Amino acid sequence: MAFVKRKAMEPAPADVPKQERSCAELTACLEDSDPQTRRQAAREMLHFPDVSGALVSRLRREQDAAVREVILTTLVRLADPSAAAGMAECLRSEDAALRNEVIEAIGLLSGDVSATLRTLLADSDPDVRIFAVNILDSRRQPDVESWLIEVIEKDVHLNVCATAVDLLCEVGTEAALEPLLRLKVRFVSEVFIQFAANRAIKRIRGV
Amino acid sequence: MSASYQHSESVPEITDEDFLKFKEFFYRKTGINFELTKRYFVDKRLVERIKATNTENFRGYFALLRFQPSGEELQQLTNLMTVNETYFLREEYQFKCLVNSILPEIVQRKKGRDPIRIWCIPSSSGEEPYSVAMYLQETWPGIADWDVEIISSDIDTNILRRARAGRYSIRSVQHMPAVWLEKYFTGVKNEYQLCDDLRQAVEFTRVNLSEPADTLRYRNFDIIFCRNLLIYFDDLSRKTAAEAFYEVLNPGGYICLGHSESMSRISPLFKVCKFPEAIVYRKALEAR
Repeated sequence: MAFVKRKAMEPAPADVPKQERSCAELTACLEDSDPQTRRQAAREMLHFPDVSGALVSRLRREQDAAVREVILTTLVRLADPSAAAGMAECLRSEDAALRNEVIEAIGLLSGDVSATLRTLLADSDPDVRIFAVNILDSRRQPDVESWLIEVIEKDVHLNVCATAVDLLCEVGTEAALEPLLRLKVRFVSEVFIQFAANRAIKRIRGV
Repeated sequence: MSASYQHSESVPEITDEDFLKFKEFFYRKTGINFELTKRYFVDKRLVERIKATNTENFRGYFALLRFQPSGEELQQLTNLMTVNETYFLREEYQFKCLVNSILPEIVQRKKGRDPIRIWCIPSSSGEEPYSVAMYLQETWPGIADWDVEIISSDIDTNILRRARAGRYSIRSVQHMPAVWLEKYFTGVKNEYQLCDDLRQAVEFTRVNLSEPADTLRYRNFDIIFCRNLLIYFDDLSRKTAAEAFYEVLNPGGYICLGHSESMSRISPLFKVCKFPEAIVYRKALEAR
């Protein structure tokens, strides 16, 4: 036997889709029973405008982790407002794996996602606000501290504030000291907040 | 001498805004992300191409890059912007892993006599795919029983031409055993010419990993070598590349990355495989 050059540039096999499919064809392929077909469609949709809605719609129902991964990458590369809003909406899903994947994906979104973050941090569901803090964690944008300070100054929910304090413990500077002291006063009877805030204060002061 | 004359004779200026505009465009087209620390590297090459194309300034050149129907200038610039530093038998432990651990596992479950398909990306000047071919020829007994296809791809068309030519400097072959050097190369002045048999063992193709259409026809590979490429990508481009590899590989196929790279930090699509010689990554057998 030997080295052979047979298939590298031969015509595509039957299971490989023909190139330059229309947006409507690709959208239909998102509903195919074969995960490979769905993945391929999601990758190719990158070059079409206004496809984020269809991708998000599939994402919310998709059970195959590899297909979800590809859909999310395409949404992040599209990075249009409906991609960001659609992914944010998935944070309400009961599927913990999907929520975690979305948190990571929004963390990768380029450009300004302030509007999305502000909406999430103002959500009536404290779980969604916690996920918003997780997104701040994954994005590590330069102004992360000011966002976290706003959370611990304003949010009324113990667990939301605790999540923000946890992250401030890593990224906080002296600017966070006063807000942390005020947070202790707001939640004076909450042992965990006292502990977490003290830990963050000690870390920031370097003691 | 007037100020305007001085200006027209001087080096075209690349402003901070120009740099950011170009960086964003080039990233979208190729997945390659230039940080500010690479500013000198990028500016130097942009200026070189502005002069070579007789465009007056960055603005004119950028318009050419964006709107030229053939995309020829974008390819020329891409060729200049890519790094092509490698040598024969680089990270040899992975070739040992290929022969001792990966291939025995692959041939065990290979149905019929389909060839074993190996994809090397980036090709660079060909040292890696030719090393794979040589290593199999010299150390893998299975080469007597199996057909092997080696396809090697790069975004840089100039480097592909060099790879096909198979002419190398002393530095490129410095880690080659003397007997292999003797067997596969002919000395030409201060360089080494790879023999035709080995040159013909590898198919070279142009591929942009960030472009889904480019990898559409690449399927049914058993092993991918993608070493020291993803370090030039940002997180999103790495994910895009990982997803392309997932489509390219057969179920149970393997991917070998550079020693400083980790698929686990890029994508959950692959499982870690710890072989005695190296850590590699694998697409699940039950995957579709």
